[in-house]
Amino acid sequence: MFPAPPTFEDLNVWAALPVIILSLWASVLLVADRFINNKFYVAAYSLLGVGISLVIALFQAGDLFDIGESGTAFEGMFMADQFTYVVNIVALISAAIGILISYEYLERTKLDRGEYYILLMFSAAGAMLMGSSNNLSMIFISLELLSIPLYILSGIRRPQEESEESAMKYFLLGAFSSSFLVYGIALVFGAAGSLDLGEIVVVAQTISEQEATQRYLLLIGAGLITVGLGFKVAAVPFHMWTPDVYQGAPTPVTAYMSSVAKVGGFAAFLRVLVTGLPIIAEGGDAAVWVDTLQILAALTLLLGNLVAIMQYDLKRLLAYSSIAHAGYILIALAAGGVPGVGDSAAQAALVYLAAYAFTNIGAFAVVAAIEKDDSTGTTMDDIKGLAVKRPWLAGAMSVFMFSLTGIPLTAGFIGKFWVFRAAMDAGLEPLAVLGVLTSAISAFYYVRVVWNMYFETGDAVVPERQQYLTSGLVITAAGTLILGLLPFILENLVRDASLAILR
Amino acid sequence: MLYAVVSGFGAALVAPLIHQSVRRWSGWLLVLLPLALFGYFASHMEQISDGEKIAFAYTWVPSLDVELAFMLDGLSLLFVLLVSGIGALIVLYGSAYLADHPQLGRFYAYLLMFMASMLGVALADNLITLFIFWELTSISSYLLIAFKHDYESSREAAKKALIVTGAGGLALLAGLILVGIEADTWTISELASRKDVIQEGGLYLPALLLILVGCFAKSAQFPFHFWLPYAMEAPTPVSAYLHSATMVKAGVYLLARLHPSLGGTDEWHAIVTGVGGLTMLIAGFIAWQHTDLKKILAYTTISALGILVFLLGIGTGLAVKGAMIFLLVHSLYKGALFMVAGSIDHETGTRDIAQLGDLAKSMPFTAVGAGLAALSMAGLPPLLGFIGKEIIYEATQEAHDLLPLVLTAAALLANIFNVAAAAMVTLKPFTGQAAHTPKHPHEAPLAMWIGPVVLGGFTLAFGVASNLLLKDFFAQTVAAVYGKPYEVKLGLWHGLNTTLVLSVVTLVAGGLLYAYLRQILPIVKPLNVGEKLGPDRLYDIGFEGILDFASLTERFFQNGHLRYYLMTIIFTLSSLLILTMTTQIDFDSIQLNVDDVLLHEYLLAGLMIAAAITITMTSSRLMAVAALGVVGYSVALLYVFYGAPDLAMTQFSIETLSVVVLVLVLYRLPKFKDFSTPRSRARDGIIAVMFGGLVTTLILIITSEPLQSRLSPYFAENSYVLAKGHNVVNVILVDFRGFDTMGEITVLGVAAIGIFALLKLRPSSRKEE
Repeated sequence: MFPAPPTFEDLNVWAALPVIILSLWASVLLVADRFINNKFYVAAYSLLGVGISLVIALFQAGDLFDIGESGTAFEGMFMADQFTYVVNIVALISAAIGILISYEYLERTKLDRGEYYILLMFSAAGAMLMGSSNNLSMIFISLELLSIPLYILSGIRRPQEESEESAMKYFLLGAFSSSFLVYGIALVFGAAGSLDLGEIVVVAQTISEQEATQRYLLLIGAGLITVGLGFKVAAVPFHMWTPDVYQGAPTPVTAYMSSVAKVGGFAAFLRVLVTGLPIIAEGGDAAVWVDTLQILAALTLLLGNLVAIMQYDLKRLLAYSSIAHAGYILIALAAGGVPGVGDSAAQAALVYLAAYAFTNIGAFAVVAAIEKDDSTGTTMDDIKGLAVKRPWLAGAMSVFMFSLTGIPLTAGFIGKFWVFRAAMDAGLEPLAVLGVLTSAISAFYYVRVVWNMYFETGDAVVPERQQYLTSGLVITAAGTLILGLLPFILENLVRDASLAILR
Repeated sequence: MLYAVVSGFGAALVAPLIHQSVRRWSGWLLVLLPLALFGYFASHMEQISDGEKIAFAYTWVPSLDVELAFMLDGLSLLFVLLVSGIGALIVLYGSAYLADHPQLGRFYAYLLMFMASMLGVALADNLITLFIFWELTSISSYLLIAFKHDYESSREAAKKALIVTGAGGLALLAGLILVGIEADTWTISELASRKDVIQEGGLYLPALLLILVGCFAKSAQFPFHFWLPYAMEAPTPVSAYLHSATMVKAGVYLLARLHPSLGGTDEWHAIVTGVGGLTMLIAGFIAWQHTDLKKILAYTTISALGILVFLLGIGTGLAVKGAMIFLLVHSLYKGALFMVAGSIDHETGTRDIAQLGDLAKSMPFTAVGAGLAALSMAGLPPLLGFIGKEIIYEATQEAHDLLPLVLTAAALLANIFNVAAAAMVTLKPFTGQAAHTPKHPHEAPLAMWIGPVVLGGFTLAFGVASNLLLKDFFAQTVAAVYGKPYEVKLGLWHGLNTTLVLSVVTLVAGGLLYAYLRQILPIVKPLNVGEKLGPDRLYDIGFEGILDFASLTERFFQNGHLRYYLMTIIFTLSSLLILTMTTQIDFDSIQLNVDDVLLHEYLLAGLMIAAAITITMTSSRLMAVAALGVVGYSVALLYVFYGAPDLAMTQFSIETLSVVVLVLVLYRLPKFKDFSTPRSRARDGIIAVMFGGLVTTLILIITSEPLQSRLSPYFAENSYVLAKGHNVVNVILVDFRGFDTMGEITVLGVAAIGIFALLKLRPSSRKEE
């Protein structure tokens, strides 16, 4: 009467192995944490779990062993393709570095709680699932899995007011924007009769050809989803939580959050828009949402970069800079709506995200390294003369700043190059030009950081060298330089990533 | 050849260490690298003169067509010889000039890095490679200009230079990409063969404009010229290097390099010639009104760059030849004169020519170098400067398509200014009456006078034996720029013709200008409006404007209040949706079926509205929570009316739970206060009504579409067949959606435990603080 329950092979479970291992590991550790008194071991075990998951993800991406088949899994809910693998790798690397840079910081600020690492792993799993969602309901659930641990992490410095306030703001606005996402998903479902991205794209094609109410639903649904995800990736005008939350949250959390939330958010964005809704066209070629995203990208670029100029606090400066960088990825996203450019735009976004993950976590890690135990000491004045006191730390920070500016031979340049090229391919030249111009503006505040470290004298007290944080810095700085010097690594990785079903 | 480029970067890394270990002799040691490079490149001279091209390519990013490709031809050889040769002299000069400076090692590092970047620019044969090295020159020159970073003015100058050239660099990148796309190749030496494709394509004009902005910013052309005089804050060795032969000539180099592929069109002629001409006149006019040696040299440099751009804009074979010769001679004499200015400053303590005189006696070697360079600058025979000027006049007279009379007059005027400036920087300090200077003048050390003498000597040697030394080589250089083979003949004597007359006029007029300077200055003073209205001021205004805008934006958007953040999101969304709806949706298709609504439904709706209004009006929290509960229960009732008891059950329980929790939380909060003003309430009201209306419209749209339910019939048919249950709702809850129900129960249970834990924990944790 009932069909036989599907086997593991039917479900293609192994294709999802990295995220499964990570989630199970985190769940087990959550219980085990209760019995481990030395939180060093919790951190170490978390790192081990992330590491195992990362190794499997790398095998999958490199096609070295057959671990699960590429294609859908879990009856179409999960998609395991090159895009998934790359998102997995970026999210896992972010998590690993996030753990590395957190340990000493948490210890010296008396925040060493085991659940920190576990929450971090859960949110990484959320980001990974967002990249592999093939179904709108999956996207929503994984978004929540990504976000809720982040809400808690930003408030983990309880009872410090800034931390509590940031968590509260993040949570309230996040919940609010999630409701937009759900509303949007509901409307799209109402129009297309399915939550599966592969089916939505087929229905959307027929819908767009006839004048029907369904078309409005699809349009408005897409708009609401854009708002919901736009909040996650901090696109202007849904960005307002970012500076407050980034500044209030403990610095390692900010470092991790700034990367993983963008990875997850943009992965889902790309899945929904490029795979699912590429053709709500007005009879023309490009998707309707291309214009909206162009406007969002332009606003994000302008506001992020311009306001960053005024910042005195490094965390807040980097918060605005991360808004600005969302703008660059939005350029790629907008380009993804133009027929024939979808895949190269998705690849550009992946390259940018990978470059950004290394660079931005690294930059925040430097801030974490110089921050004092009472969470002060993160202003422009506090890095004056850093080059004399801690030459390697200053050197690493300079690498990150140059990479964020997009200066050649760093990862940031490679990312920008891909994005601008995708925009050119898509015929969005004005946006590419704006991107270039705002990069020029951004040089101003990034160079100022370098300037303060090398050419100003100051006597700010900097905490002692921290071993694990340093190893995290070495990894991020090396990654930033290696990806910049040997761009073919990323190129080989993303080459097969393909999202567009219709061409 | 890769090693030739990279060696500079390598040396830059170790230079500070070398300097630390050998101290006094570091300059003499480090000079070996530029000398070796000079020798290496010079050894290719014969090959190049025979018309060969030497190309190397290393794959870098294959899929993006980015190669580390290098090519040596007549044009790049001229540049790399200048860069490495003058570089060697500057290393020596700097070692003496900054001998007592604690950061001399750092200076060597920046200088070598800059030299390597410059070599990369000149040798690059790939558009992206070129851009990368181009940006590296901007960065390393920034470090050099800001070398005296203790001074605010020094930092400001460096920042200005970086922002102008950096922004220009980005425009250049955009332009290069456009050219690359249009030509379908990224290799520079292949561009010329696709000239037609590029120039007839739709992207030609934007590409040209963007590239020109980049070149003009780098080469200090009007209206981007203002950064260069500020950059004189740099230590003099830096000015001598950056602003004679290298950095500022990069823009000229690129114009020359791209001339075969982009040049020759009306747009090219109009813009390039126009901007170049304007620059050479404006800067030349300002030059002789200054009394600071370096300022005079800075403005004459801008003027000379203007002449080069102007000639490339004309673009005839003769003009190109003139440009290349003038480029060589200007690099030589300007490098020498900057070094002389530095020596004077170093030995006397001032650069103000009003305070200087009769230095020829105390600084004889420097004076020789200065004299040769100045004669070349003024264009007197038998120096190379004379030949350069003669060719320029020939070229302007011959440019038949482009108003030769105007061009010649402009060139004449610029050269007259040049002669006067040349006289000012040498005659005034070295002859006449001795003046009282802050330090007692004596000859500069060998490392400092050798540069001017060598460079001055070169202008003499090249002038006397021009045909012998330069003819074959320049034939290749000119061919590389002109795009076609071009026969080069050089000589001092061209017969008694208009050109010679013009040369004489130039000298006489220039001399008169110098002689009567004191009488002329007050007359031209009122003409200097540039400082108040010029691009420099515009830059300042723009800069401050951006800062003001940034702080305004932050104050407006980022005020820290959650409610404003929410408001912005809602407002943006509503506006976007309203825009979409009004343009996309046909409202006639939406129908309202008021007849079907029953009385109790009206009552329920009225209750909900009343409760909602109560929430906004009440001043008691408890009341608001209660009213919120009323709304929730009414919604649940609606579910009951429309046959969804399971949903209603869930809604009832959630509603109860949230009211209880809210009351518990509110109990702990401070007393309710009313912060809002009537105005903000009105604004909030408008936004709320907007959003509410929007959602209502949305629902009307949805309901106007007939609902096709597949689930209800399925459950009705199958609840008994599959699950053996008569009550469909029960079957759905415990069977079809059994997992859902279990999940819901679990979630509620977990939430209850969580609330319990919170209630238990709170008092004790607050005590700990």
